[in-house]
Amino acid sequence: MDTSLATKKFQKEMNAGTSSLVLLSVLSRSKKSMYGYQIAKHLEESGPEIPMMKQGTLYPVLRSLEENGLLESLVEPSVSGPPRRYYKITEDGKLALKDWLGIWKQTKKFVDSNLKG
Amino acid sequence: MFNTIEEYLEALRSEMKDADLALVQDALADAREHLSTALAEIRESSPKTKEADALKKVIEEYGTPEETASAYKEVERRTSPALKQTPKSYSFLGAIFGVYADPRTWGALLFMFIAFVTGIIYFTWAVTGLSLSLSLSVFIFGLPLAILFLLSVQGLALLEGRLVEALLGMRMPRRPLFAQRGLKWFERLKVLVSDKHTWFSLLYLILQMPLGVLYFSLMVTLLFLSLGFMVVPVVQWVFHFPTYQINSVGYDLPVWSLLLIQLGGFLLLTLALHLARAIGWLHGRYAKALLVTE
Repeated sequence: MDTSLATKKFQKEMNAGTSSLVLLSVLSRSKKSMYGYQIAKHLEESGPEIPMMKQGTLYPVLRSLEENGLLESLVEPSVSGPPRRYYKITEDGKLALKDWLGIWKQTKKFVDSNLKG
Repeated sequence: MFNTIEEYLEALRSEMKDADLALVQDALADAREHLSTALAEIRESSPKTKEADALKKVIEEYGTPEETASAYKEVERRTSPALKQTPKSYSFLGAIFGVYADPRTWGALLFMFIAFVTGIIYFTWAVTGLSLSLSLSVFIFGLPLAILFLLSVQGLALLEGRLVEALLGMRMPRRPLFAQRGLKWFERLKVLVSDKHTWFSLLYLILQMPLGVLYFSLMVTLLFLSLGFMVVPVVQWVFHFPTYQINSVGYDLPVWSLLLIQLGGFLLLTLALHLARAIGWLHGRYAKALLVTE
């Protein structure tokens, strides 16, 4: 068994859950709507030395959050290129984020306490 | 590895060739938006960077086509379509009367009524725009007009796709197709005209009027006919109103037949709903064939 492959898979599975939480939290703290590239930049600046998930994987997550009514979006033309999709958190999204943070804290506690042995 | 954004998009498209067409269109739109924004930013902040190096860095951060494609497929697998497939009922009665509990039935019914209105609007817009663009194309200002019209056709096609997904449960594009940057007016028109997606969308918009009228009249006739049958006993018993008149003499129907007529009305209604669901299913496939690019 190639362990690097398993590590990659593990990283992907970890990202699958946390990226929704992180994106929702970033958008809840931002006063203005943000577009994909802005969000990616923001994530990069807040943790430059942490190997982040690829930026391309953020977009499908944003889209699925919108599908579930946690985000809403608006397409606006831009000066420099194709129109941009601006995302904003909804009231449902804020409620969900509160629950998710609770789950995250529990998970973190559970994992930490088990890792310590 | 990739010299232009277009090459990256091409690789992404071939990576996703077995995915849903609508999903591919969304993924391409997202990638185009991100890559060109990121590239423009690098050009602005450090103009000395070579174009190829900038693109390489941007793509490295965005992810390879394989990574991007698998991220979309993964999320799509977890996201359910707008109208979930209800579990199939295998009992005979369940198969017949389950149609009342199936959200797709009511979605299709609503779509058929809405199609009457949207069909007329689409038709008017398409015919007016087409004839104006053609007749004014001899003048220089006919060109921007034709481009605007063809762009509006693509916009309407996206809108109709959203309607089809919401009401008929067929997965349709959620992002518009973006045009390439930096094209001149004439080149942009050439791209639009040579894209068969534009013409299929236009065809769809025009055909939507006869279809909408057909759907509307079919459903109104069937629904009110069956409802009419079902209220005959109420009219006759409660309001003492004769069911039919011959030479100004009113006749009541015999009591035993009233229940039969009511039952017939109910069966007709059930049949009409089955028909609505079937037409909705067919229309979803038809819309996908005409409105979604490969």
